[in-house]
Amino acid sequence: MSLVLDDLSVGYGRRTVLQNVDLVVEPGTVLALLGENGAGKSSLIKAIAGVVRPRTGSIAYAGTDLSRLDRRLRARVVSYVPQRGPDVYGLNVREAVLLGRNPYFGISPTRADHDAVDGALRRLGLGDLAERQVMDLSGGQAQRVLIARALAQQSDVLLLDEPTSALDLRYQVDVLRLIRDLTHEHRKVSLIAIHDLNLAARFCDAFVFVHQGRVSHRGGIETAYTAEAISEVYGLDVAVDISPDGYSVRPLLHPGERSLQHRTPS
Amino acid sequence: MASSDAAAVAGGRLSGPNWRRLRIPLVLTIAGLASLGIMAAGTLVGTSGVSLAGIGRAILIGVSGAEIPADFAKEYRIVWNLRFPRVLLGFLGGASLSLAGVLMQGLLRNPLVSPFTLGVSPAAAFGAALVIIMTQASGAGTGGLEVAAALVSALGCAALVLGFGSFRRLSPTTLILLGIALTQLFEALTSGLQYFASEDALSAIVRWTFGSVNDAQWYQVQVLFALLVLSLPYLLLKAKDINAIAFTGDDVATSLGVNVPRVRIVIIAISVVLTAVVVSFSGVIGFVGLVGPHIARLIIGGNHRYLIPLATLTGGCLLVTADMVGRIVLAPVVVPVGIVIALIGVPIFINLVLSRRGAT
Repeated sequence: MSLVLDDLSVGYGRRTVLQNVDLVVEPGTVLALLGENGAGKSSLIKAIAGVVRPRTGSIAYAGTDLSRLDRRLRARVVSYVPQRGPDVYGLNVREAVLLGRNPYFGISPTRADHDAVDGALRRLGLGDLAERQVMDLSGGQAQRVLIARALAQQSDVLLLDEPTSALDLRYQVDVLRLIRDLTHEHRKVSLIAIHDLNLAARFCDAFVFVHQGRVSHRGGIETAYTAEAISEVYGLDVAVDISPDGYSVRPLLHPGERSLQHRTPS
Repeated sequence: MASSDAAAVAGGRLSGPNWRRLRIPLVLTIAGLASLGIMAAGTLVGTSGVSLAGIGRAILIGVSGAEIPADFAKEYRIVWNLRFPRVLLGFLGGASLSLAGVLMQGLLRNPLVSPFTLGVSPAAAFGAALVIIMTQASGAGTGGLEVAAALVSALGCAALVLGFGSFRRLSPTTLILLGIALTQLFEALTSGLQYFASEDALSAIVRWTFGSVNDAQWYQVQVLFALLVLSLPYLLLKAKDINAIAFTGDDVATSLGVNVPRVRIVIIAISVVLTAVVVSFSGVIGFVGLVGPHIARLIIGGNHRYLIPLATLTGGCLLVTADMVGRIVLAPVVVPVGIVIALIGVPIFINLVLSRRGAT
């Protein structure tokens, strides 16, 4: 039940944003997509989600080419959480999460759909907010609603485009822990586009650096998290510290540039 | 995170008490009964006295085709030939505009758009103005040629917007901008016609743009009724797809299995046909297509499964009420419903917007 990308290229108009991506993601793996802004991470996620049609190559899950699946069947295999959704005026949290059941029901949601929504609300700690209007939620709570919607979709492949960008530290950790646990428990395949290299190091199993539309480095943390690789991708000198807590990446300041922690508050 | 929900999930689903589940059917039932009440009131109101019993009798005779008793002939003519078409055209027209408004707002993800956003209304006005000048006809909706010209022009405008918009995958912003451009174009063309028009023709064009159901005809009621009966079941079937587009955006809706361009073009086409037909029958009745959906949304929420039927009823009630007021305030003079609806609707709308939760 692996996700296999074969020679995938994606573009918009005359611009090619992603070229010749080959990737195999095994079940039970959380894969971090890393790279600078505009590197092509979101385009890769959109191509797998079926939002953007690839120029070349194929995307297969469990041996099935996803482009051959009916839209609704594909939506049962792959779910997608964008960086930010549109303003949701007039829906409560339960109704917003129920949108994730769209590929399953016809006119009315069934008991199974409501149960899936309840499960997703519980996993995201949204039970108490189920009847609240989404418009009245904080940014972090609204982000959790988006993730709950993807969970309610009960797909094997979970795609998240910067899922923690609007969250405070506690919920960043909670959300990434939840995604990791779900992925491991249910043998899902999760791809997370993420900017925080340190959080990615703690919660992801595999790492792919996308640089100028190509995969530049990949592998487990030992092979992917090298100062050379990260410096090349981000154009910034970094140090990678390895401690019993794991890997952490630290940008190196220019000579004479003082670290903020040494400044005295005025 | 799960522990905090233990109390909430105890005993079943996370949804609220039973009365909350009953709320939506209750609201829709009340709205349906209110619609019947408002239509009955609309039939009773007028300079000639008509009784409720008279309305019932007229319906029986009209539907069964029975012979009209001589002592009832006058009342029957007033009810069946004047009041019913007027009230029903008002209700169905308001319902259609509000329905079109709710669809446009959802599919273009913009609460400020109305059925007229794509330029349908000024295009219809241009078509009608052209025929009025060519034939020197007068009065809104009386001439079949005027109706046909308004309809063809409105549909042509919508086809242009959707045709050009398809080059950009029917993105909401593109459609709105194209609509603004064509609105300006048709307004300029109509102004050009007015500049060269005779006084009589100019007066007829201005009267047409007021929007009115004064000259309602049974065939107009039948056409609108047929359109609504045909489109509503389809729209309710597609409500979950409209929800996905409105509340998740095009990309996520696609990932949820929705064929976004197809749903958008078909449903916008339905809303422009409804709008074009109403405008061609009754002139430009603004505001109901904006305020009707908002009132419904504030009552029942944004889920299109319930919003579509409620907005349809709300729009119908608004227009019949406005028409009643227009017949009463300056009786025997009848103030066109297009003017009254704005005078009534604006304060209601401002109050609703300012009092809604989260308003800043």
